[in-house]
Amino acid sequence: MTKENVQGAGEDEQQAQSKKALKKQQKEAEKAAKKAEKQAKLAAEQQEADEDDFAKDRYGISPMVQSQQKLDRALVRVQDLTPEKAEQQIWVRARIHTSRAKGKQCFLVLRHQQFTVQALLAVGDRASKQMVKFAANLTKESIIDVEAVVKKVEQKIESCSQQDVELHVERIFVISQSEARLPLQLEDAVRPEGEGDEEGRATVNQDTRLDNRVIDLRTTTSQAIFRLQSGVCQLFRDTLINKGFVEIQTPKIISAASEGGANVFTVSYFKTSAYLAQSPQLYKQMCICADFDKVFCVGPVFRAEDSNTHRHLTEFVGLDIEMAFNYHYHEVIDSITDTMVQIFKGLRDRFQTEIQTVNKQYPSEPFKFLEPTLRLEYKEAVAMLKAAGVEMGDEEDLSTPNEKLLGRLVKEKYDTDFYVLDKYPLAVRPFYTMPDPNNTKYSNSYDMFMRGEEILSGAQRVHDAQLLTERAMHHGIDLEKIKAYIDSFRYGAPPHAGGGIGLERVTMLYLGLHNVRQTSMFPRDPKRLTP
Amino acid sequence: MPMYKVKPVSPGDIKIDLPACMYKSPNIHAQGMNCGDHALQNGGVDPALERLEGRQDEVLRRLYELKAAVDGITKTVTSPDADLDVSTGSRLPAESVFRGTADLDSLLGKDLGALRDVVINASPGRPPLSLLVLHALLCQRYQVLSSVHVHSSVSAVPPSLLSCLGPRHTDSYARQRFQLGFTLIWKDVSELQMKFNTQSMCPIEGEANVARFLFRLLGAGPQDPVAATQMDCWIDTAVFQLAEGGSKERAAVLRSLNAALGRSPWLLGQEFSLADIVCACCVLRAGQASSAPVNVQRWLKSCQNLGHFDCVYPLLQ
Repeated sequence: MTKENVQGAGEDEQQAQSKKALKKQQKEAEKAAKKAEKQAKLAAEQQEADEDDFAKDRYGISPMVQSQQKLDRALVRVQDLTPEKAEQQIWVRARIHTSRAKGKQCFLVLRHQQFTVQALLAVGDRASKQMVKFAANLTKESIIDVEAVVKKVEQKIESCSQQDVELHVERIFVISQSEARLPLQLEDAVRPEGEGDEEGRATVNQDTRLDNRVIDLRTTTSQAIFRLQSGVCQLFRDTLINKGFVEIQTPKIISAASEGGANVFTVSYFKTSAYLAQSPQLYKQMCICADFDKVFCVGPVFRAEDSNTHRHLTEFVGLDIEMAFNYHYHEVIDSITDTMVQIFKGLRDRFQTEIQTVNKQYPSEPFKFLEPTLRLEYKEAVAMLKAAGVEMGDEEDLSTPNEKLLGRLVKEKYDTDFYVLDKYPLAVRPFYTMPDPNNTKYSNSYDMFMRGEEILSGAQRVHDAQLLTERAMHHGIDLEKIKAYIDSFRYGAPPHAGGGIGLERVTMLYLGLHNVRQTSMFPRDPKRLTP
Repeated sequence: MPMYKVKPVSPGDIKIDLPACMYKSPNIHAQGMNCGDHALQNGGVDPALERLEGRQDEVLRRLYELKAAVDGITKTVTSPDADLDVSTGSRLPAESVFRGTADLDSLLGKDLGALRDVVINASPGRPPLSLLVLHALLCQRYQVLSSVHVHSSVSAVPPSLLSCLGPRHTDSYARQRFQLGFTLIWKDVSELQMKFNTQSMCPIEGEANVARFLFRLLGAGPQDPVAATQMDCWIDTAVFQLAEGGSKERAAVLRSLNAALGRSPWLLGQEFSLADIVCACCVLRAGQASSAPVNVQRWLKSCQNLGHFDCVYPLLQ
């Protein structure tokens, strides 16, 4: 190619370049112009906004509460917002359950624990447009302080718990803001399973709930379940204290596995290792030998069973009882069943709201029981099962499906969800169970069932050191490991019996729920260690 | 011509050491076979099978007999010119199922090891007085484990209802020692209900029907169907007209009671029966005892003297 051509081409290129550059410049100019326009507009709007916002000091995000000042302000609970407070101006602290803007109005539903109330913010002489916009944009679950006037409503607000009143908001401040994206929606978490499938709306599955337990525990159902569980614990304590029992605390780090070495957690203990207690059994009995006569203890129990079922946890709260008796271990059974009946009665009489709340999401039959508690013998149970077509041996242990079937048969005949099965075969019970004096194949042991599932396993304990040694050898247990246990019976031990229940399981079965993780706040199972 | 004989290669009875994994089967060519097997192979019948067939024939025969008896009764009842005069006593064969002696096994079915427990659900507002009397009678005849429970549907029950079955048996912790269980549950039910064997029986409702069931356990019922019908008639009168009827009906019943008791000491004649129990309880519950006619009062006194009604009087206050 000749120079001229190159030059020509270069010139063309230059010309093309300049054309391109021109176009580019033009575009940039347009962009800049548009931007300037927008900014001008925003500035104008801002000015407008600032101009019109007469309510600027009646809303906003409060600075973080670092205990800067002591405000002498009484906050009313949502629970207490009733028609009696009509026309009063009060402050309320609650969470934003939902917020919905409609033109010049904003409807908020405020929630505190199980109680919700509707709040209304309308553009008027007290609230500006910006204030309503601010309220509508608040994220769900944020904690806010609201000053409002309580107003009576003619038509009941069905969707709230406080149905007769509504709040007309004057001031609204954010105390703690929540992130915009919640890992789960509370309405979804409270929706019953069937309803979710039918209407195509979401329900939250268990793993998501357990991973985000803090939010899941805020739902009305969870609040009701755990308040009821607290009631169970309290009724247990109160009833036993009234019967003259003493509450004891037993150690959880122990040197020897009590019920066989398979299901214990090992912890490193300085230069050796120790175990986490599977049950307070040994220590309860030692207290009886130490003349405390009637003891109970409430504490964690650790079972390293790799069973991923609906009713097993690796750590749960055990409510254990041990009692010395005069002549017959039925005295202890009567005491334990009476305690359980008092707990059921207390729940029936004082926790109906909680039971109804749980039933809304998890419908179930109310819990029925007899007073005094029904007591059947193991032989009768086997006969009932055989009559119903089950094939089993006379000394066989009851399998889980058989237990459930037996529960149904007992329910059909006696209409009770709670009963005791007495005189289990000796072969299926631990080595410290006292054998039946009249029939060596059976033992003085019993199980209690709720809704066909076992909640308590108990027995008269062997209180004689020699018999205990024989039974331990019969079961092939290393005597060295349980030497301390056997020693406690060598210096005079009263005849005694007892048993223990699991708090979570009892709550689950009382409410008719189907998974023990629903009644354990932060459950532990072979697959879950957090939260 | 002599035939060619082959000398035996091996003697007939060599002992062979068989390894343990082989087993011997009987020699089918040997003589002296079992005649029984022979018979089987010839199309004969196994004796066990024969017995089974015999039992089946027996059951069928009894069924036909029963059917014939029922047909006979239907004919006499439905045909208007039947020459059976009911008032002069029965000429029908008394094919009584219980044959006079009441054995619990034959009445209720074989005991499989479970205590035969009669469960009665009653409302505390209307205690079943006749059932309490029957309970006392049952206790005299059998070893009965009685227990009273309060169901969770009822919040509280007066103490007299809790002890209406008498003091707790000293052996009550050993359920196996009893022949019959009597469990009374105070429950919020509209109609009194009894459950016995939920697998094979539906619940029985109504105090009168449960009373009939329990009375049969005593085995003391009138064998004669005419008397049995009269008894049923008195029971129904008591339950429908005396207990639930208006004052006019009650007065009418009391008059007919008076008339019947003028002729004999008890309602069915010379023997105390379920009719007396149910009627007396209904009269007592209606509060008509003091204002009743002379014969009725005398009869109530006789009932009381028998001693079975002691459990009822504390509940009448």
